[in-house]
This record gives sequence, structure tokens and C-alpha cells, in this order.
Amino acid sequence: MSVELKLSRSNRIYRPSEALEGKIIVKTQSSISHYGIRLTLKGSVVLQVRGGSAGVVESFYGVIKPIPIVNRTIEVKSSGKIGLGTSEIPFSLNLRQQDKNLERFYETFHGANISIQYLVTVDIPRGYLHKSLSATMEFIVESDKADLLQRPLSPEMVIFYITQDTQRHPLLPEIKSGGFRVTGKISTQCSLSGPISGELTVEASAVPIQSIDIQLFRVESILLGEKIVTETSLIQTTQIADGDVCRHLSLPIYVILPRLVTCPTILAGPFSIEFKVAIVISFQSELSKLHKKSDPKTPRLWLAMETLPLELVRAK
Amino acid sequence: MEFRPRNYSAELEFHALRRVSTAAHPLSASPPSPPLAQVDVVDRGNNDFFDPLRGTDNDANAAPPDHENLNEAADLQPTKEWTSSRRLLMQRFPVSKMVSVSSMPDVLMRSGKLHEKSSTTMHFEELDNPQKFADEGVKTITWQEYVSRLHELKDEITRSWLAEDRVTSLKLSIKVAKLLMDTSVFEFYPTLFVLVTDIMDMVGNLVWQRIKRKAEFSEDGTLRCNLAENFQARDICADAKETCYNWFSKIGAVQELLPRIYLELAILPCWRFLLDQPLDSLQRLVMMTRGLGDPVASAYCRLYMAHCAQKLPSHDIGYLVTCVNDIRVILIQILSANERSHKNVKLNIKLQVSLMEPTIEYIMKCVFNGLTQTQVNEVLSELGLMKNQQELGSVSCVSIILHHLLKELPIEVVNSNVVHILHLIEFSKDNSFGQHMNYRLLGFRMHERKSPVHIVNDVLDKVIQVIALYDSLDEYLKVVDAYTDLILQNKMDNHLNAILEGISNRAWNKTVTEDEMLSLQSLIVKLLSHFKHLEDVFCLVQFPEILDVLYGKSQDVVFLHILNMVTRNDHISDPTSIQLLFEIAQTLHDNIEFMNVKDDDGQVARSISRFVHMVDYGAEMEQQLAFLVNCRGAFGRFNELKETLVHSCNSLAIQALKCAKKNLSFFKSCVTFSEVTIPSVSAHRQFDLFLETAEVAFLGGLVSHSDGLIDSAITCLHTLDIIDGFRTPTGVEGLVSSIRKLCGFLIMVPGTFSLPVTYFPNNLFTLISSRSCFEPKMRTQIFSAIILLLTTLSQKRLPYRANTQILGNDMLYYGDSSYNQELVSLSKLVLENLLSAVQQEPSQAARGILALEVCNCIASSFMLNSELSPVCLTLIETAKSCLSAQDRYLQSTIQLLNKQ
Amino acid sequence: MVLVLALGDLHIPHRAPDLPAKFKSMLVPGKIQHIICTGNLCVKEIHDYLKTLCPDLHITRGEYDEETKYPETKTLTIGQFKLGLCHGHQVIPWGDLDSLAMLQRQLDVDILVTGHTHQFTAYKHEGGVVINPGSATGAYSSVTYDVNPSFVLMDIDGLRVVVYVYELIDGEVKVDKIDFKKTSTSHSAH
Repeated sequence: MSVELKLSRSNRIYRPSEALEGKIIVKTQSSISHYGIRLTLKGSVVLQVRGGSAGVVESFYGVIKPIPIVNRTIEVKSSGKIGLGTSEIPFSLNLRQQDKNLERFYETFHGANISIQYLVTVDIPRGYLHKSLSATMEFIVESDKADLLQRPLSPEMVIFYITQDTQRHPLLPEIKSGGFRVTGKISTQCSLSGPISGELTVEASAVPIQSIDIQLFRVESILLGEKIVTETSLIQTTQIADGDVCRHLSLPIYVILPRLVTCPTILAGPFSIEFKVAIVISFQSELSKLHKKSDPKTPRLWLAMETLPLELVRAK
Repeated sequence: MEFRPRNYSAELEFHALRRVSTAAHPLSASPPSPPLAQVDVVDRGNNDFFDPLRGTDNDANAAPPDHENLNEAADLQPTKEWTSSRRLLMQRFPVSKMVSVSSMPDVLMRSGKLHEKSSTTMHFEELDNPQKFADEGVKTITWQEYVSRLHELKDEITRSWLAEDRVTSLKLSIKVAKLLMDTSVFEFYPTLFVLVTDIMDMVGNLVWQRIKRKAEFSEDGTLRCNLAENFQARDICADAKETCYNWFSKIGAVQELLPRIYLELAILPCWRFLLDQPLDSLQRLVMMTRGLGDPVASAYCRLYMAHCAQKLPSHDIGYLVTCVNDIRVILIQILSANERSHKNVKLNIKLQVSLMEPTIEYIMKCVFNGLTQTQVNEVLSELGLMKNQQELGSVSCVSIILHHLLKELPIEVVNSNVVHILHLIEFSKDNSFGQHMNYRLLGFRMHERKSPVHIVNDVLDKVIQVIALYDSLDEYLKVVDAYTDLILQNKMDNHLNAILEGISNRAWNKTVTEDEMLSLQSLIVKLLSHFKHLEDVFCLVQFPEILDVLYGKSQDVVFLHILNMVTRNDHISDPTSIQLLFEIAQTLHDNIEFMNVKDDDGQVARSISRFVHMVDYGAEMEQQLAFLVNCRGAFGRFNELKETLVHSCNSLAIQALKCAKKNLSFFKSCVTFSEVTIPSVSAHRQFDLFLETAEVAFLGGLVSHSDGLIDSAITCLHTLDIIDGFRTPTGVEGLVSSIRKLCGFLIMVPGTFSLPVTYFPNNLFTLISSRSCFEPKMRTQIFSAIILLLTTLSQKRLPYRANTQILGNDMLYYGDSSYNQELVSLSKLVLENLLSAVQQEPSQAARGILALEVCNCIASSFMLNSELSPVCLTLIETAKSCLSAQDRYLQSTIQLLNKQ
Repeated sequence: MVLVLALGDLHIPHRAPDLPAKFKSMLVPGKIQHIICTGNLCVKEIHDYLKTLCPDLHITRGEYDEETKYPETKTLTIGQFKLGLCHGHQVIPWGDLDSLAMLQRQLDVDILVTGHTHQFTAYKHEGGVVINPGSATGAYSSVTYDVNPSFVLMDIDGLRVVVYVYELIDGEVKVDKIDFKKTSTSHSAH
């Protein structure tokens, strides 16, 4: 005896104005009677603070109440019987209710401290004598087309140049004295469905280059009383140069944004989700081999970097 | 028993078909014509007959071939080229069995150690779980283990794919692709590349199939649509697109650059499910590849890119041109570093460049595959080799790139830009590739199509000037070898003398190496092929000197060539030439004798044989014979040659007979020469040679010689090992035919009073009966021939005579009843044995045919009286029991019997 | 109309260096649809040369042929005719009509082509036709050294055959023709 949910879309992505459609599949060896089949739709922003960089005391942990987005139950079928074998019960459920047009459906996001999640649950209660059947499934919400950014995406890119003099942390003496210059441009406003794009050129470097990476960070901030707790964490590293590349050849920056762990930049009252992109140049050095497991955010003697804010948007 | 009387001449006259003179005949339509007209004939003739290849050729001229067919062919081609290119890679850089690869664990662990794992997201960890793979603590691994591990990985990828665990498949594929990040063991890289890309291709294929299936079938397995070969992105359902997009994002999330590029290339064709114009991705991948700092790794990555791009239905070559340019930039950088480095690094760089060469070669091939003239110009200008739109400028290029460019350039382009290419070569001098090899290549390319004489002149002046400074014989030869044909065709004798002198000076007092010998050989062969007459070649001052430099295999090749050249057409009659060639032939012979050089295909023996045949002293027949005697002494090793000597000598004897002034003693010497030479010929050829010599002797009237030779022929059958001598059934069949031929000859041979009249037939019969190695079928055929011989001998007039001076048996025994009696009694004996031989034949079908053969023989030889009619009937019964009643041979034989 | 070239007994290079130049200039590729050669070529080069004239080449074995894989006899069907091929040195007496007729019965052919005697002959006998194209090089034979080079071209058209005989006499090519039809009583082709 089992129940499962199957959504109409294999990628499970739905927009707030759309109906969530799918099937409830019940498999049973004998016919069973029930007190109605119910679907519960639940969406919320879950906030938690785990000793973030603000040095928050442990006792704050878990105190923050989730922010509800939607919570609704409907009956798909009133009480009755389900025959033996496999039964499929189709359902269709509007996400946004007509009258409550003001509900804000944030896009699904899985972060370190902030999680925006939408769940659909089926319950089949069978009275006190029998265990009720139930199944839950996450679905993904993406913004409505109507809500999308109306102004066009800025095609402009930020021009950057990285030299020994732009670094605010100490560098190895040979890097400092030998000098280097890496220039390029990168988009700082990006559509979630497109890549972070740009290009980069190593114009000079006395010390051979080990690697050039594009690091994608998320910055999650939570309003906690008077304070804002901010945590920055690395989502993805994408290498764009492996080894001592040719000088003066431009290399493309092309980073596909991973799903679920990114979402449109949100600046809400109680919380905000922002992103940053960093260009990290590692130079060949004996020292680096000794520190293989290091925090990517920590500036090291053999690293040069440039960090830029990144605005992510849902565009057409 | 009574012989059937025959009147041969009357019968022939009666049955002869009447011939009338005619002016019109099929061959008259094409009078002896210049070669050009002959070519016309070829085409016309082939249009309505046979040669299907040429047939289509003609069609192609008439109407352009179907466009689709061309596309299809173009689609298939890369696959074939790729396969052969992969094979060449493996062959060119073979992996030594003994070497261990110590870096393998590093390769597998590198990703895990260089970057912190904990910071990555769940999504990323899904792709890269270091615990599951690698890190197995192997410190040293042999190459074999490495390879077998790769094969295991390939199997694992397939297995997990089949088990619907595609995430594992992908993870493993990434692991495999990462192996190519390690170029530390240079020599293994090409092999590693072949093995890894094989896996990449497989993965790419699996993904393609899966998405295609999603596009064609709905989830429950019902057919949605059939995708056409040239489908559009809009034909693809959202579900399939989603899966496809998912693959690209998964691969896009791979941290390291190299595996990310390889995997995207592997599934490059899948872009077609998402976009109608996937070329942008290709352009981006080209740029991304620039991020690979290791020159070898980046070059091979471009090679794989060129391969994968061919899977797209249409692709621009712009991306390839960018690849070539990028490789050039990299090479310039390596080479400039080279100048500053010390010896060890230089060696390393040399190896690096040689590793990169096949990738340049392949990409160049792809670039120039089927380009129009305008496109070629565009490419050249993109490569920075065009000063203005029309001409190749005097800019420089990396010589190895120039080399492969020059190799692939369409001949028209080479032809119209020779001088500029020459400048390009002149200014492109670096360590990536020997400049002399580019001069050499230019020479070969110029030879492909005729250039104006003044251009050839300019080029040769320049080249000769450049190579005059070369010290190395090898480099010198490499260049001049390529220009030899041009020099010869344009009759530039001054240049020819210059290069011969150049060679001679550089070869002076030095051991010529194997490589140099090969170039020299090629050059000399060109010289020889050009000149019609050997004398002209020997007129070149330095030629004999250079010829002396040769030794070993190359000497053999050249000498053989000389021998073949002079024996190709005309007779050789000049005594000095004969002497020279004789010495050359002797060297070839002695090299086989003493140097243990093998003459596997008998080429040397055949060429010397031909030489012997071609030597013609004309009327000086004594000298000719003396020459043959010399040859017998000098070329003792070749049995085949002795056969030639016998044939030549017999021919010489006949030539002597034809002379108005007959010289019988010379004729006799010839026959004697043959007679004493035959015993040293291999046993199974002796019989025919004895017989030929006997015939010749008989034609010249030497009856007793002829008798002796016939005796020798029969005697050699005594000792002949039939099984070993004739390894094939057709060989044995041939011997039986020759023995039957002897019977045909014996018809003319007169009896002598000292011997019984049936001396030879009887001898032959006795011999064949006594030797068990003659099988029933062979006996039947030979005995039938003896009966036919005896029948013919019994006639009043023999059907033919060779020498009117020699009286035939018809004259000698005219009306002699005892002669006839002897013939009859031998016939009876032979017939008895003949009949029993038929019955001994084990195979039923063969027995039936033999019975019919014998029946025909009897019916044609004897009057069918009461004695023989039953014999024939028995034979017919035998045949009937063995063959089908419908057998036409059986029917026609029965008809014959009824008639008589 | 099918052209069949029949020739044999070239004995190259043993008894002659090459085909007469006059013959060679007449024999051009593309005209002839089949070649039948009775044997004694003798070297492979001649085989290759004949192949260039026409790829459909049929050869039987003469006693001096370098190539020992040629068969003793061969039959082939061209149009309405069945042709038999044999060198002929094994037919005793050489060139005898009765003996050739035996072979013809055995092979069951309409036209039998044999060589060995180095003399052109053509006979109609027992309903069949027996042709000997002579020696294409004029090589000496077992019987004579006075031989004119000759070969034969058969033009087979339906039931009719025209045999052209090319003979080199005193440096000139003389062409004769012989015309015959297949009678209904003769063997039918298979």
C-alpha cells in the first residue's frame, strides 16, 4: 500500500500564476476506504543563523520564525473507496489565489542560512484504526513572466584590472616585485537562465600562473533584532585558465548559473539574498602546495583577486 | 583389332571454312593513332561495357552528382579520417611496455587536493565525490595497468548508464577526462588521448541517443515523432530540451577547465536539440581552450574539437582558423623560450612540438577540406599570411604550421603563389620544423602541376643557393630529391650538374647513413626513370661516382631499376652496356648469394632473366651463345634463369636454322648447351625443356640428338617426385598434358633399325604402368594418348612432319605388315590397361567421364568390330551408372557410336 | 554485337620479344569485350597487357606458361554461343579434327578454340566450329619455324559469327573473314 505524487512537469518548475498539476498515484493490494483525499500546499522562507560571520551567539539558533508564503489545503476527493491495484487521481491546483493577489512568491532557493521552499503534500486519512497514507514533494517556483524585470538587462560590463597594486593583502615578494596585469570585463547583472559572461586577458605576469578561477558567492543577510547577520559562502568555482596561459590572448568568462542554489537577488525587509563574483588568480608557488585545503575567501600570499557584486535577475 | 584408316589432308580440306579477304574489320575503325585518340576510344568503349567505375566517371561528367549524395559522403569521411588519424597517433608515439607511470595517482587526485571540498555546494558534490574514486593509494602504476584501468572505467560508465545511474556515468566520465590534464609523461599523451576520447565519444553518443529518444518517444514509450536527419530545435519537445539543458548545466558546473571542455565537446551535437545555430558554442569553446596553459594539452583539445565539430551538420571553418592562429601564438611563445633555455629544456620542447604536430596536421586537413579559391584566400588572410588580398606576403609563419599548410593548400593556390611561398619559407626559420623540409615540400608540390619555366627557374636558383650552404648530406639530399623531377622536366642541366656535384662533395669520405641512402635511392630512381637510355645517365659526370656510394638494399633497388629500365623496351646490343649490366646483374645475384638478401618475390631473378632475353648480338650468334654460357656460370643461383637460358639457346638455334647460310655445327653447339643445362633446372620443369630441345633438334635434323633428348625426358619421369614437384593439382595436370604432348611429337619421330619400332611408346607405357604415383585418371589420359599415337602411326600418311629431310615412319615402313602388327599388339596391351585404369578411378563422377573419354578414343581409333563393340558398350554402361542420363557428353558419345 | 579476341602461343619472351608493333597498335583498350587466350603467353607481363585491353580475360594453360594456375580447359557462354578453350598440345595428333571433335563433345561447346600448331585454321565439323588463331608473335612451333603471326577476332551477333583473321605477312597485316551461322541442329547454348 503506497501513495506517491507525480507532477505534470518533470523539472517540477511552476510559476505562481499557473496551476500545479499532477497525479496522486495509489497502489494497493486490496481496496481501501478513506475519509477524503487532501492536498496541502505550503511555501515558506526558512531562516536560521549558524554562527555566521557576525559572531552571533549560539542561543539565537533557530529562534527566527519562518516567513510563510502560502499554506492551503484542498480536498481532491471526498471520502470513499479506492479499488485494488494502481489508481491515479489527477489534480490541478492554482498556486496564487484570486483574491490574495498580494502574496509574494519568492523563487525557490537553497542557501546556507536561508531556504525558500515549496512543498505539496497528499494526505489520505483512513480513520483511527488505520495509518493514514501521505507523501510530500518539493516543487520549484520561478517568477511569473508578468513579474519579470521590465527594463532590459544592462548589456554593460564592468571593466576590471588586477595588478599587484590593486591587492589589499600581502603578496609573495616575487609576485609583488615581478608584477602582473590581468584585465577584462564581466557582466554584473545576469539573467539566471544565461551565463555570467565576460572576458579576461593576462597581459603580463612575471611569475607563472597556476590557475584562474571564477568564484560565485552568495551573501545571505538576516535581520535579527537590530542586527543584520550576514554570511558569505562559495557556491561554485569555475576554472577558466589552467596553467601559465599565453599573454595577450583573451579568454572567455562563461559560467552557467547552477539551479536552486541561485535565485533572483532579493532585498526583502527581514532578509536579503545577494551574490558576488570573484576573479581569483593563483600563481605558481611552492607555498601554495602546502596549503591545499584553504578557505577560498581567505586572501593568500600567492593569490590575487577582484570581487564584484553580481545582480541576478529572472529575465525573459 | 583394326585401326580406322584416316586421310588427314582430305578431311581438313573438306571441313575447312572458306576465308575471304576483307578490307573492313572491327579494328580498322581505329587506325594506329596518337595516344589522345586512344583515350577517346577508352571512354566510348566503356560506356556500354563493364568497368562500372569508369562508367560513373563518365556520368559525372555529363551531369553533376546528386547533391545529397555529396553531403552524405562528406559526413562519412571525417569518421574514416578520424579513425586513421587515431591509429597513426598510436603508431607514431608507441608506448614502451617497460615504462611506469608514476603520475597516475596525482592525476586522479589532483582535483581533490587542490581545491577545498567543503565549500562546494551539494550540487557540485554530486559531481565530484572523491571518496568513491581515485585515492586508492597507488603510487606507481605500469602503463598496462593504466590502460586496463581505463578500459574498466569505460565498462563502468556503460554499466551505470545501463543501470539508469547516469550521474555516476557522468562523474566517471569527468574523472576520465581529467586524466588528460596530466602531460607529464609526454610520450603517453597521444595514446592516452586516443583512449580517453574514445570514452568521451561513447558518452557523447549515449547522451545524444537518450535525448533523441526523449524527443521521439513519450514517457510511456509511444512514438511522438521521427526526427529527420536535419531536424530543427523547434521539433524537440520541452521535456527533451529540459534533459538536454540539464546535461549542459551539469557539465558547465565542472570546476576544472579541461574536462569541462572535453565533455561539452563530447555532447556538442546535442546543442542541436536546443539551438538551430550551435556554432556560437563552438566559437566559445575555441576561446575557452586558450585557457589551457599546457601547449600539448591545448593542442590535443583542439584536435578533439575539430573531430567533434564534424558531427555538426554544417560548420564554418572560422573556429579552426582561430585554432591554428592560437596554436601559432603558443608555438611562438614556446620557441622564444627555447632560445633562452639550455639543452635539456630544448629537447623537451622538441618533443612537445613533435607531439603537437599531428594535431596541426589534422586541423589543417579539416580547414582545407573542399574549400573554394575565395575561401582559401580568406583563410590565408585570417592566418595573417596575406599581405594584400591577392598574394601571400613576405611575412613569417611558424615553420611547422607552414609545413602542414603547404601540404594542404589546394594545388592551384600553390601554383599561383610559388614565389611568395618561397619567401614565406625563407623567413620562417625556427626550431619547430626543419626549414629544409619545407623547401622539400615546395619542390614536391610544384611537381604536382606545371609552373611557368621562369618561376621554376627563380625558385631553383634560390633553392640551390640556399642549400649550397648546407653541410649535412641528409638535408641536402632531402631538398634536391624533391626538385629532381622539376630539374629533369625543365631540362636544367646546369642545376642537375650542380646538385650531383653537391651530393658528390658531401658524400665524399663519409659513411652514408640509412636515411641518406633512401633519399639518394629515390633521387637516382628519378634520374633513371627520366632518361630513356642508360648511356645518357652515365654521361652525367658525377653519376658513376654517386652510384658507387650505394650499398646494401638501396644498391639492390637502384641496380634492379637500371636492369629493368634497359630491359623495358629495346634489345641491348652495345657490348659496353651489356658488360655493365652483366656486372650489375652479377652484383645483385651475389648480394643474394653472400649478403643473405632475400629475393622473396623472385624479382631479381625475373629481371635478370629479362636482361638475358633482351641481350641481342644480332648476327653475331656465336657471341650470343658465349654470353649465355657466361650467364650460366655467373647466375648459378637462379633455377628460373637456367630455364631462360635453355629457352634462349633453343631460340638461338632456330635463329641459326633460319639463316640462309646454315651453320650446323653452331646449331649443334646450341642444342648441346641446352642439353647439358637442363639437368640443373628444377626437376619438375625438366620434362618440358627436354621436349622443347628435342623438337628443336628435330627441326634442325639432328635425329639422334632428338632421340637422346626424348630418352632423357622419359628418364626424368622415373625420378620425378610427382607429389613434391607439383604442389598443386593443376601442376600435375600440366605434366600429364606434357606427356600427352610427347605422344604428339613421337608421331613424327622415325624409328631406327637398331631399336624396335614401338621403342618410345612402349618405354613410356612401361614407365607409367610401373609407377604407382600415376593415378587412374592420369593413366587413362596418357594411355589414351598412346593409343591415339599408335593409331596415327598406322596411317598411310602422317598428319604432319617437321623436317622434310627426315623420312617419317609412313615412308620408312610403307606397307610393312610387321610394323602394323607391332602397333596393334602394343595397342592391345595398352587398351587392356586403359580399361582397368578406368575401373580403378575411385570417384564416381570422374569414372563416368573417363569411361566416355576412353570410349571416344576407341571409336575414333579402331573399326568397331565384334571385338571392340562390346568394350564400348561396357564403357557406356559404366558411364551411365556414374552420370545422369541427361549428361550431354554421354548423349553425344552414344550418338557417335550409333553413327559408326 | 560482341567482339571476342582469340589469340595464343605468344611465347614471350622465349621465342619472341613482344607482339608485332602492327598488332599492338590495332589492339586498343575498350573495343574488345572478351579475350580468350589459348595459352603459352608465357610471362605475367603479357597477362597484364591483355588485361589492359579488356578486363574480361580467359586463359588456358600452355606447357610453358609461367603461371601454373591457368586451367587445362575452360568454357564460357557468349550470347547464343558456348565457347570452349584449350591449348591443344595435349590433343593427339595435334590439330586433328577427330581428336578435337572428342574434346568438343566433352566440353559440349559450339566453338572450340585451340592453339599449339601456330597455324591459323578454321573448320566446321560435326556441327561445331573449330578455330585455331595461330601464334600472335609468329613463334616457332613443334612442327615448323616458318610461322606468320596471326590472331582472330570474332564478332558474335545473334546466331551469326564473323571470324576476322589478322595475319602479318611480309610486314603487312592481311585481314580475312569467315562467316558462319549456328544451325538449329547444333548444341544449344546454356
